[in-house]
Amino acid sequence: MTVLRFLALALAWLAAGPVSAHQTDALLPDLDYAPPAPGTYPLHRIMRAPDGPVLDVEGRVRPLSRFTRGRITLLGFIYTACRDPDGCPLAYRVFDLLKKEIEAAPALHGKVRLVTLSFDPARDTPSVMRHYGGSRIREGEGLSWYFLTTRSARDLLPLVEGFGQDVRQSVDRSSGRPVRELSHVLKVFLIDRSGYVREIYTSTFLHPRTVLSDIETLLMERD
Amino acid sequence: MISLNLRRASSKAAGLLAILALSAVLPAFGDETCNSPYIAKLIKGQEDYVYVWTLGVEGLGDGSDKLVTVDVSPRSKNYGKVIHQVSVGSRGEAHHMGFTDDRRHIWAGGLAGSEVYVFDIAANPAKPRLVKTIADLGDKTGYIGPHTYYALPGRMLIQALSNTRDKGGVTGMALYNNKGDFIASYPMPVEGGGDGYGYDLQVNPRKNVLLTSSFTGAANYLRPLGELVKDPEAMKRFGNTMVLWDLKAMKPKKIFSVPGAPLEIRWSLKPGDNWAVTAAALTSKLWLVKQDAQGEWQAKEVATIGDPAKIPLPVDISITRDGKGLWVNTFMDGKTRYFDLSDPEAPKQTYEKQTGRQVNMISQSWDGKRVYITSSLLANWDKAGADNEQFLRGFTWDGKELKQVFEVDFTKEKLGRAHHMKLGSKALRSAYRAPDSPPKLASAR
Repeated sequence: MTVLRFLALALAWLAAGPVSAHQTDALLPDLDYAPPAPGTYPLHRIMRAPDGPVLDVEGRVRPLSRFTRGRITLLGFIYTACRDPDGCPLAYRVFDLLKKEIEAAPALHGKVRLVTLSFDPARDTPSVMRHYGGSRIREGEGLSWYFLTTRSARDLLPLVEGFGQDVRQSVDRSSGRPVRELSHVLKVFLIDRSGYVREIYTSTFLHPRTVLSDIETLLMERD
Repeated sequence: MISLNLRRASSKAAGLLAILALSAVLPAFGDETCNSPYIAKLIKGQEDYVYVWTLGVEGLGDGSDKLVTVDVSPRSKNYGKVIHQVSVGSRGEAHHMGFTDDRRHIWAGGLAGSEVYVFDIAANPAKPRLVKTIADLGDKTGYIGPHTYYALPGRMLIQALSNTRDKGGVTGMALYNNKGDFIASYPMPVEGGGDGYGYDLQVNPRKNVLLTSSFTGAANYLRPLGELVKDPEAMKRFGNTMVLWDLKAMKPKKIFSVPGAPLEIRWSLKPGDNWAVTAAALTSKLWLVKQDAQGEWQAKEVATIGDPAKIPLPVDISITRDGKGLWVNTFMDGKTRYFDLSDPEAPKQTYEKQTGRQVNMISQSWDGKRVYITSSLLANWDKAGADNEQFLRGFTWDGKELKQVFEVDFTKEKLGRAHHMKLGSKALRSAYRAPDSPPKLASAR
């Protein structure tokens, strides 16, 4: 396939309209390596996951720690208008695949949760997040998947800073005015049951195989 | 083991895959000489600044190590001039530095001790601020001489050169989070052919491998070069290995024999390439580390740099964004050479130019059209007298000729010995602007 063909496909995909959580039914590239076997490598405590108030899809104020303690948590920042195929849609796709894998593995039931947290509180209200999550929103003994946002940038900033999730509002080059697009680099955080970040995935190695291997590694640890 | 049953492609999926394939390579496309592939926000257009990590010289200015900002925007009235400097208040053999993955901070250190200085470059990219000094590297790890600062997601992996015990070359790597908290250390292997030495480290995330090289310890690199080369026992204490690590597990997978102190490592950034090059300083050879047809990693000598009998001492190298070319600086003869890497198994020198009486580091812009060179290697290894030029020189490169366009004389400016460089941009001001609080960003490039 030529570069032009690649570009044409890319442009066609970008022109296809607003991104939704459900437009991610796509292939993930295979990993180009075999991850080390679970339990054969350490996942160090990188840092403590920050805490602060968030909003669930019902609009209730909750501490983020309610969603990052007690179970192994995979947390990713998104904004629902994101069009970067190497960003939010990729994360969503991986989360979706993980959901299916975990639901099919009874040994993991009740032990893992997914958290999707918006860094665009101005637009991603609880109702927008509810629409974005759709039927994937769930809470229970199998796999829980929470879609969260914040009341304001003031509530969001400590979380973004605490996780080290870099994000900037893009600027129109001609006018210098901010545009809807948010410039960010995909990061997904694996958090242990005690609330410590144990891995930070980027698009270069965010893949269900690596994440599941890491989840298994954490589950093999003694409390 | 949990089995996976990942779904396969649809036609739309193929489109996304194509985009992913394209976008996946974009971050690595920015050479800016050698940034970690995890670093965000590479400068794709004209850089505004060159940050120069500078060794202090006794009696020159404040005599301390310092981070110097040089304005390199051709549209600026300060083009080619020093616009800021921030001193760390002491002299400790300032050497290399590296960006955090979010490009908000530069971590820099000195080879004489174990301090690591953290500079904020996001609040005002023209005027970095020293915001933290990490002082526990030696105590936590037993390693000194922090050399390479390599961004991992949310973390910084530091390759040290020496140790607290005997100041020799047996050393290791240290992992910190971006807040400066120590996480873990990893000794360089001394079994299975390993010599325990370290120098550079570079990651190929697509292959889950980390490649390291080897130099020598503080007992050697802090000695005067003229004295060192006359000490045959000391000259035996240089690294002769490279190590391929399982990145995820941080465990050595294979140790290569690469004689003569293999230093800087550069992975080809071309999609699909699975090879890296390094230059061995003492033997003046280019080496290739590449997967063979069976997928096994191998190292082999592929080219000679200058006349090894004259010990040109290759130091820094810089690979082009397409993996087709390599700049090589040789310290002793002050030359900058360009190698055609179209066939990495047989690099061919196609250009050379005397760019100084002594040259060490070389960095190129994203597009390869601008090349920056500095002069200092180590305080006690730099030349003496008139040959001890200390500079940052800017060049343009049109594919045929390096043309010098500016020079900053670091001695005349009372700055010190110019060493490692990193590029900066006004557009990288401020790392986070809340979506509902309009930013005041400089025009994006």
